[in-house]
Amino acid sequence: MILPNDFVFTQANLQNYVDCPYRFYLRYVLRTRWPALVVDQALDFEQRGQAGGRFHRLVQQYLMGVPAERIEALAEEDPWPELRTWWAGFMAHVPPWLVGQRWVEMSLTATLAGQRLLAKYDLLLVDEQGNLTLFDWKTSEKPLSKVRLLERIQTRLYRLVLLQASPMLLNHQQAAPEQISMHYWYATHPQTPISLIYSQVDYDRDREYLAHLVETVTNAEVEDFLRTADLGRCRFCVYRSHCERGVEAGSLEEFDRLELELDDPDQLIDFDDLPEIEF
Amino acid sequence: MLLTDEQGLLLTQPIDTKIFVQGKAGSGKTTAGVHWLQKLLKAGVPPHQILVFTPQRTLAQPYLDCMHDEGAFAHSLITTMTLGGLARRMVDLFWPLISEEAGFAHPNQPPHFLTLESGQYYMAHVVRPLIENEGYFESLAIHRNRIYAQILDNLNKAAIVGFPYEEIGPRLKSAWIGGIEQFNIYDDVQRCADHFRQFCLAHNLLDFSLQVEVFLQRLWPLRLCREHLVQSYRHLIADNIEEDTPVTHDVLRDWLSEFESALLIADEEAGFRSFLGADVISAFSLGSACETRLWFKQNLVNETAIAQLKTGIQSVISQLQSRSEEEIESPTPALREALGLPGEHIKLFPSMVKWVTQNVAELIESGVPPAEIVLLAPYMPDVLRFALGDGLDALGIPHQSHRPSRALRDEPATQTLLSLASIAYPGWSMPAQPVNLALALMQAIEGLDLVRAQLLVNLVFEPGNDGILLKPFEAIPNAFKDRITYRVGERYDRLRQWLLEAAGAEGSQNLDFFLSRLFGEVLSQPGFGFHDDLERANTVSTLIESVQKFRWTVGQQLPGEDFNLGKEYLRMVQDGVIAAQYLRTWEERSPDAVFMAPAYTFLISNQPVDVQFWLDIGSPSWYQRLDQPLTHPYVLSRHWTTGDVWDADNELAAAHETLRRLSIGLLNRCRKKVYIGMSALDVRGYENRGLLIRIINEAWRRSLKEGA
Ligand code: SF4
Repeated sequence: MILPNDFVFTQANLQNYVDCPYRFYLRYVLRTRWPALVVDQALDFEQRGQAGGRFHRLVQQYLMGVPAERIEALAEEDPWPELRTWWAGFMAHVPPWLVGQRWVEMSLTATLAGQRLLAKYDLLLVDEQGNLTLFDWKTSEKPLSKVRLLERIQTRLYRLVLLQASPMLLNHQQAAPEQISMHYWYATHPQTPISLIYSQVDYDRDREYLAHLVETVTNAEVEDFLRTADLGRCRFCVYRSHCERGVEAGSLEEFDRLELELDDPDQLIDFDDLPEIEF
Repeated sequence: MLLTDEQGLLLTQPIDTKIFVQGKAGSGKTTAGVHWLQKLLKAGVPPHQILVFTPQRTLAQPYLDCMHDEGAFAHSLITTMTLGGLARRMVDLFWPLISEEAGFAHPNQPPHFLTLESGQYYMAHVVRPLIENEGYFESLAIHRNRIYAQILDNLNKAAIVGFPYEEIGPRLKSAWIGGIEQFNIYDDVQRCADHFRQFCLAHNLLDFSLQVEVFLQRLWPLRLCREHLVQSYRHLIADNIEEDTPVTHDVLRDWLSEFESALLIADEEAGFRSFLGADVISAFSLGSACETRLWFKQNLVNETAIAQLKTGIQSVISQLQSRSEEEIESPTPALREALGLPGEHIKLFPSMVKWVTQNVAELIESGVPPAEIVLLAPYMPDVLRFALGDGLDALGIPHQSHRPSRALRDEPATQTLLSLASIAYPGWSMPAQPVNLALALMQAIEGLDLVRAQLLVNLVFEPGNDGILLKPFEAIPNAFKDRITYRVGERYDRLRQWLLEAAGAEGSQNLDFFLSRLFGEVLSQPGFGFHDDLERANTVSTLIESVQKFRWTVGQQLPGEDFNLGKEYLRMVQDGVIAAQYLRTWEERSPDAVFMAPAYTFLISNQPVDVQFWLDIGSPSWYQRLDQPLTHPYVLSRHWTTGDVWDADNELAAAHETLRRLSIGLLNRCRKKVYIGMSALDVRGYENRGLLIRIINEAWRRSLKEGA
């Protein structure tokens, strides 16, 4: 195994592997940073990502008990005009769904094929009947279809990890898959979250898929991390010059058209990324 | 793993207690702490309820490693935190509740957290006009960056000791007994701190001191914040609390009753970060807040000879400190086996380096693994580091230093990108020097050596020109084209063309995006110098991140008609205000290299070794304070009594105490032997006759007496 000893599988690194094994190798095995642009309209792209990060923070503050009026004042003065609409949509539709004990920005782990998996949830609700409801806030323009969402690594990983970790949240009781539901809430379509129910069949299928994926990555040798055959991906990959797969980054319009996604917006304000000040 | 009796005793304690463990370094306290964490997990405590608190993030690593090993049955993560991290997280989370009350001018806009670098930048922004236009610090002959750093340091001290920042100047003045001009300097210090704080409040900026103050004064007392913390974390492990600050200890004391269990671990004879505000007295006062107190007395590291050396040094310093007789124990002759001394008198610094490297070679030949050898000096100046590195290289011995040899701004990759940026933006009126441009082209274009790069620059560079500063390759005489080669010429033209077009492209007014494109679209493409060079890509990433953070914190705060962010960044790099940091400091020691570091860096890394070399031990830097005319770690500490003055006796006592902590701290982390490296003349040619060498000589003499 060439992965670092303390390696933990997440939706971001698994998605990277699925998109391009070589990218995974560069990013997570060699830990190479390659400071090229992801898309051509870099400022728009950055501002969109940061606005998403700020929206996540406002929702987190609300869920932790900060009064809505105070948050609204921040949303009102936000430089990204859509953020006000997102916030209004959130307040108009989401609060009635927030039933049960709340776990905000919670990280859970599980073990699969001898490896550790990690999932970080925007919101996890546990009601009195032991039902577990996951919410994921999305600020991208266009919602993905239900079929695409079901295929996503995030969906598969988040539900599987939650099921395995459920005894910790349910007083040592193991949840059944049917007790878990996952909702993708798109700020641009606030009244209709895309809700995915879970079943034993889904669990078995996802488990097999993820275990196979994790084993493949774990057992891979350097030469197994092949470059993707889908050259379209390379247009939105920072390593394109290293791989000799193009010069300029693709456009933001194309990025949207291909329904690609930003990495977790919350990562843009990752505290652990800030240098520790020694005092 | 076999546990000591003391470790075993800790693990028999019930988990619903508050325990204070104290002991010397090397007595197995952190190992016991890790076992305690395992005990909590095995008892069914969910990891997310466990908080591991340390003064520095790296010190939590053993606990994180343990979580990785225990992962199979853990379904969440422990939290590791420092006071700074806690303050930043809470300010960010509860900002809407306190922004107005805390006095920020734009309470409905988000906070901007300053890094060390951007804090220094803003301090320069505020203080520079005061120095240039109003004569601040007139009588002081130190580099401006040191002025900025020491004012920031004062603000941080006020925050972590817990006194109002408005008292910085008065405190410093009240302890001063020298000339009157120093009073004016302290007044200037206070005024600068005031201006800086007002500036931060006006622009929603939070430097470290303001983060901590806002947390302590506004958030820690706030019910919502307190409930969040208390409900989130039910079990506490706080390690190395002696290296933490008084306000951290206040928070822990306050918080302690809310935890179901707590394990506090303190090192005796430590507090090495006192110049960063570590407070041993307040750390040990937490012992009385715990139900159980355990002492770890056994040193698991020292062999007999080193233990005797420790006794010897301690006895001499205790006498210097006029401690009571019973503390003064004489060493046995075994002490001499712990010391490696030069066979003959070494006069010059290079001979000392040679003696060191030869001894290192012999040790390795005799079977000591390189990683079990450390070379230590009080500050490890570059000249010493390079000399040792060269000497070890010549002997083929792998070595690792605590940090790379160059700061970010001095890295060739950084200079290449910034030189090319200055060419692309002639409007900045900061064209690169021809020699720097030649170096940049040599780095940028594959197949171009320095001689031909200089030739090319002589032929194409027109710094006085309006607009375009570089001529195309076709404009140079044919004879030179042949010499430079057409292949290089073609690459040069591509780069030139790109620079001409990119400066005008959309978004390129943001220097970080410009640099990203320059890297991605040209320099890392085939035929250019950064293609396939992962190391240089890392350097460029760090540079671009630095520019990006500068844009985020500065660009949004100081926009103005004639303010150009890219130009300002370049100016600050040239002034040494930013990009002065090192690419990374080594958090992990290489398993097969001799390690070179300042003594304090080694101490705080908490990793014992077989053999230490103490270098330059005639130097007073082993015990003297840094010359910091604008601040004072003792006067600004919590234990300073207002009205006292700092005099020569205080200075001497502080030197003795520093020396005791440092030498005993090092010996606590040494198994077998210490080699003493010194020359009669130091690196600058001054005579070496410091206190440490006299103490070692005296300890040696006493051991002879004992053996006689
Ligand atoms: S450029 Fe293409 S092949 Fe190369 S790492 Fe990126 S996605 Fe993979």
